Amino acid sequence: MAESEAPTESTLGVGRPTKRRPGSAVGGLAVADPRPVFEDGSVLGVRCTACRYPAAQQGIPWCPVCYQPVEPARFSPAGAAWSSTVVAIPVGERRPPFGIAYLDLDDGPRVMVHLAEPAVLPLGARLRITGTDRGDLLASPEESTEGQS
Amino acid sequence: MNQPMLWGVGTSDYGLFPERRVESLAWAAVSEAVRDAGISPAEIDAIVVGSVFGPPGVATRVQRGIGIPGVPMWTVENACASGTSAYHEAVEAVRLGRFGCVLVLGVDQMSTLFSGAIVPEATDPEGASSLPLPGLYALQAQRYLGEFGVTPEQLAAVAVKNKRNGLDNPRAQLRNKAPDIEEVLASRMIAEPLTFLQCCPTSDGAGAAIIGPDRGNRDDLRIEASAMVSGALWDHRSDDVWGFASVARAAEKAYAQSGRTPAEMDVLEVHDAFTIGEIMTLEALGIAPRGKGAELAPSGHTARDGAQPVNPSGGLLSRGHPLGATGTAQIAEIAWQLRGRAGARQVSRHRVGMVETMGGGAAGMDGNACVVTILSTQ
Repeated sequence: MAESEAPTESTLGVGRPTKRRPGSAVGGLAVADPRPVFEDGSVLGVRCTACRYPAAQQGIPWCPVCYQPVEPARFSPAGAAWSSTVVAIPVGERRPPFGIAYLDLDDGPRVMVHLAEPAVLPLGARLRITGTDRGDLLASPEESTEGQS
Repeated sequence: MNQPMLWGVGTSDYGLFPERRVESLAWAAVSEAVRDAGISPAEIDAIVVGSVFGPPGVATRVQRGIGIPGVPMWTVENACASGTSAYHEAVEAVRLGRFGCVLVLGVDQMSTLFSGAIVPEATDPEGASSLPLPGLYALQAQRYLGEFGVTPEQLAAVAVKNKRNGLDNPRAQLRNKAPDIEEVLASRMIAEPLTFLQCCPTSDGAGAAIIGPDRGNRDDLRIEASAMVSGALWDHRSDDVWGFASVARAAEKAYAQSGRTPAEMDVLEVHDAFTIGEIMTLEALGIAPRGKGAELAPSGHTARDGAQPVNPSGGLLSRGHPLGATGTAQIAEIAWQLRGRAGARQVSRHRVGMVETMGGGAAGMDGNACVVTILSTQ
């Protein structure tokens, strides 16, 4: 959905209930944070005890691939960018431009990250998650983060 | 088993109508579909509604105005595929003999919820990280640029084609002018490489269809196949771009049901919420080999006068995208095309038509759902 023209000033809805608007950024109620957790240099998640399938979400009842038990896991913060883009519209509390990428963590899951510097990166570019920004995973090109663990 | 047939279709206009009651959009679509099917409302013995944003209870408020009380009725939410998911359930119900005549309604009124792009879902891991839908499609598009050498001009050609088609659709939201490739690329950036004119607008609207068994009416359309699949994991193991596999799964089922091949599709309405969506979808449907879908619009293959016209209605890029209504709008267009009643939009070969709708946005899945249906004249 792209933006369309902003509605012109109108008296529509004045003096009676208006519809809900989802998301705290636009005045909705807060919800539990569903995002992956970054702690002590690792992305937290689960790994299957049988097939080793990694997932960045916690609290799932079994491995979604083979149905065997999962156990808590810590994933490397480094990996290869599957794709990236620079978003040029405001989204929630984010103001443009901001960069996002899908990052395939080494021996880990694919996670969505924000880029410290907005850029379209070559496919497969090496990235490392260095922390979080407003709770979102934040990544930079690996060469710029050497020395960090 | 009954042979499911499409008896009639109807739609509202598409656009921004915050001043209208959402029910009035639905009533416009339902009344047209009932007239088109040549039935009395009393013949309808079940109602299936597809809607994403409702509001809750919209089905009953619609029902209140059309005098079809007490029949089984349910509402389906499958993201952008909600309307076609409702259609699919109606088709299956008729096929199995559960109901004799089912009203399908797709409806959404986005203008009363969003002043611009859809606000990402706060309970979704990626939505909570501010991934907008155009951003998700932009990540797809960047893969195509990097992996297959697709060019921005090839992306833009999809918008040029569909917006030109939309000029002849009196119900389309955007029908004032058709941009050329330079204008598409020069429109403001939304998410690289997708520019404003490569993104469908936020819309209000409704569509309806009447599904029943074969009643010996030559005007009814044969529903040769209807396949609905939900999402599957899309993760670090996936070579396909997001969304590809769900469309391919539904397409495979639909081709198997109908015994037809991609080359037999005379006219298609597919999910072009963003230009890259049409390209990816046509590959997943087997209309083009992988990595070659971007050549279809520039070559004229998918033009209205091409070998396999795609989105002669103008698609989501012109008609607009009231999520739950989109699938039913696509079905209506294919019905008008197959019956030769599409007016200035009419394509020349119109015996077999396909509709594809893919809804997505839940993180880590290759779609929320996808429906592919194949219809033909008798």
